[in-house]
Amino acid sequence: MSLPAGEAHPALSNTYRWSMPANWWTRKRHYFFYMLREFTALPLALWLLWFLVEIKRAGDGPASYAPHSSALFVVFSAVCLAFALYHSITFLSLAGVIIHVKFLNRPVPSRLIVLSQFGLWAAASIVIGFVLIWFGR
Amino acid sequence: MAKRITIQATRFDPEKDTKPRLQSYDIPFSDDSMVVLDALNYIKAHVDGTLSYRWSCRMGICGSCGMMVNGTPKLTCNAFLRDYWPQPVVVQPLNNFPIVRDLVIDMEDFLDKLKSVKPWIVRKQEIPLGAGEHLQTTSQIDDFKQFSQCINCMLCYAACPVYGLNNEFLGPAAIALARRYNLDSRDQGLKDRLPVIAEAEGVWECSFVGECSVVCPKGVDPAKAIQQTKLDTTMRFVLPYGNRE
Amino acid sequence: MEFESYDVLVVGGGLAGIRAAIAAVEANPRVKVGMVSKVYPMRSHTVSAEGGAAAVLRPEDSYETHAFDTIKGSDYLADQDVVEAFVREAPIEIIQMEHWGCPWSRDPDGKISARPFGGMTTWRTCFAADKSGFHMLHTVFQTSLKYPQITRHDEAFVTKLLVEDSRCIGVVALDMRSGRFDAITAKAVILATGGLGRVYAFTTNGNICTGDGMALAYRAGAGLKDMEMVQFHPTGLPFTGILITEAVRGEGGYLTNSEGDRFLKRYVPNKMELGPRDIISRAMTTEFEEGRGFEGPHGKYMHLDVRHLGESVIDRKLPFMRELGREFLGIDIVTEPIPVRPVQHYMMGGVDADISGATAILGLYAAGECANVGLNGGNRLGSNSLSECLVFGAASGRAAAHYASAARAPGSKPVDAMLWDEARRVEGAYLEKKGGEERIGDIREDLQREMDAGAGVFRTEEGLQALIKRLADLRERFQSVKIEDSSRTFNTELTAALELDYMLEISDTIAYSALAREESRGAHARRDFPDRHDEKYLKHTVAFRTGELAPRLDYRDVRITNFTPQARTY
Repeated sequence: MSLPAGEAHPALSNTYRWSMPANWWTRKRHYFFYMLREFTALPLALWLLWFLVEIKRAGDGPASYAPHSSALFVVFSAVCLAFALYHSITFLSLAGVIIHVKFLNRPVPSRLIVLSQFGLWAAASIVIGFVLIWFGR
Repeated sequence: MAKRITIQATRFDPEKDTKPRLQSYDIPFSDDSMVVLDALNYIKAHVDGTLSYRWSCRMGICGSCGMMVNGTPKLTCNAFLRDYWPQPVVVQPLNNFPIVRDLVIDMEDFLDKLKSVKPWIVRKQEIPLGAGEHLQTTSQIDDFKQFSQCINCMLCYAACPVYGLNNEFLGPAAIALARRYNLDSRDQGLKDRLPVIAEAEGVWECSFVGECSVVCPKGVDPAKAIQQTKLDTTMRFVLPYGNRE
Repeated sequence: MEFESYDVLVVGGGLAGIRAAIAAVEANPRVKVGMVSKVYPMRSHTVSAEGGAAAVLRPEDSYETHAFDTIKGSDYLADQDVVEAFVREAPIEIIQMEHWGCPWSRDPDGKISARPFGGMTTWRTCFAADKSGFHMLHTVFQTSLKYPQITRHDEAFVTKLLVEDSRCIGVVALDMRSGRFDAITAKAVILATGGLGRVYAFTTNGNICTGDGMALAYRAGAGLKDMEMVQFHPTGLPFTGILITEAVRGEGGYLTNSEGDRFLKRYVPNKMELGPRDIISRAMTTEFEEGRGFEGPHGKYMHLDVRHLGESVIDRKLPFMRELGREFLGIDIVTEPIPVRPVQHYMMGGVDADISGATAILGLYAAGECANVGLNGGNRLGSNSLSECLVFGAASGRAAAHYASAARAPGSKPVDAMLWDEARRVEGAYLEKKGGEERIGDIREDLQREMDAGAGVFRTEEGLQALIKRLADLRERFQSVKIEDSSRTFNTELTAALELDYMLEISDTIAYSALAREESRGAHARRDFPDRHDEKYLKHTVAFRTGELAPRLDYRDVRITNFTPQARTY
């Protein structure tokens, strides 16, 4: 197609605007597990709401409260525990990437940082569990 | 019995097409060391001269030849055909960028972002040339070395769903480069870069998908750079008189 | 019509080009500098340089030794005044790069480190691990972003230099995105377009190294100097031609033949693996011819062995080499030897330019690999090139800015006509062409194969005569080249054709210059004239374009100052 020399072609700014397909997160394993990780916030929030309801019910009197009558809550709690564990494990595993500290002018290896985070988590779980059970008595 | 392989490449000529389509080419797979780039070069030289794509060094250092290969952003000079054969290899332009022609994308947005983080040494007071070099130890270089390896290939932008959904996001490579300068012992420009890095479209847009670091061919680990920047900028806010780092 | 105008226009966005642009602005902050490059600057082939940049930085070193090493390395074809100026400027440039953030590797005391390199008598090669070119290019490119006076035209392909009244006043450039032809005028133009490795089949050079600037200058009437001096680097990977840096030998690597023998003891007994590149490439080729090379699916090769260096040295000093070995060969250089063979790498020849980059055409400057300022003569020492880009990039930037400050702006009338003519030429010859039987790829592959055979490490009269005939055939075939892509948008077939046109033209200058130099000097080795003949050939070959295929060859004396030419042994 002959064009007067120096003239811009009319198609100059006709770049194709690419857009992300709505199902982008199903196309790669990594993306799917990322969405799952982000999604865990939802069941956790729902669980907290349900938990508040259960507290209210228990507040009506220890005699009338029978946790096993709320079997659904137990099952739901187990599911949410799985989500929470997934969230916590992925987050703590990535702590080694986020936190960078130097000890004696040498960078602390990320594996050590991750181990320390898991260690703190275990310690905190033990302490809190102990406190809950103690006050539960 | 000569081996053959099928390459399916995106074709798009804005003068003729309204949207991109895939075109199939069947070519000889004559050497086990052949990479996808070799296949594209063969097509252009011997089959279809109209196929357009960028390439130069063919050794993974210039960053020109980034494309989607079977849905994953790769440097085509380093994607071996033997890893895909006998299945067809689908070669498409990098995701998340406007397509100019065939496998060529518009990278002006990336260059703007690169410039916006002020990727140069900023000093309150320049030392004169006659004073010689700033002293710097190997350990100080190691602080920023990883983030200085970026070849600007933009595979990380193609992999980042956040950038895909929101083009305003500063993006992995730009933030990693900002961190490279922020951590360089010779630089004093952290304050100059903060407004761009710490804004909403800066590091905080990142939700740590992490795919950028997975696809980075040079091990820059931009996800790490971004998360560490988040932590650093937060600490700066919380402890304004604390350690600069 | 797009019509931009600058004080200084740099063509090429590599180390020399960007350095020139910055130097122009620093010399005179009021100059408007344009930078045209057919690729984005960080893609320039500088990025693949590995070894380092030489400069006198240590007290035990001296300008005189660096100068002598360079002059001897050049086989006495270097202009000695240029060398002496170069060695004094190089250290300043290294420090400047450091100030701009280049991550030079350091000694324990925090100062810039240096490594041994081929042909250098002391350790003076500054390096950034083994990605020196990458770090240097990204440093200057990123630094250039802070100068508002520099405007870049990325992916603009220059097709012609505009010359009016024997003065260069700008360029015609094809904007690849839109297919539009632009005239970019300037008071001074600096060519920094790099080398021409792609005229050879087996080269370390990237796709973009097609000698554009050399051809442009040649067509505008400038001379191309010492085009017969083509450097073959001893250690390229077979098949791909990917460069394995000289630093591998600098750190202590051994070259062994198929008999496990460190054969260089018979060629360069004093320097061994740290001999100059031309001698080692010839040594390897001779060993191949005498049957002591390994045979592989991609030709003969030698072993480059670094196993004895140990993993920690390799990871600290040669990490990129380990990466290349793993990614492209599937070998770990810590435990296996690297297969290597001589590969075209650098062009000592180029646009005839003086110490400040000025060519014979007023307003036209040249720097970097595309220029021949007289530094490298018949053979370049490793790590002088990165320093060369800095020193002469800066020198030409300053000279161009100085000249532009006093020069009058080019007039616009003739430019319109020149732009129209050039646009019509390209459109008529390529975009609107109907028919044609030859594919670009076929002509290009034939050219590359012929150049490898006829103008390789060893040359003969018969080989060069045959090459000249084949080049004439190829030019003929190029007249009926077929262009399938008529699109205006990012037409890489068009640019490939334009590049092939450049490549064919400058290949002729290489062949004719090589045929005329009846001696062996530096990288130019004639089997039929194996000795050096200073009495006749202590001169530069300068090729000028004529109406025919053969260039007119002039000879110009080499400038000698302090170093009398001697026999060159190591």
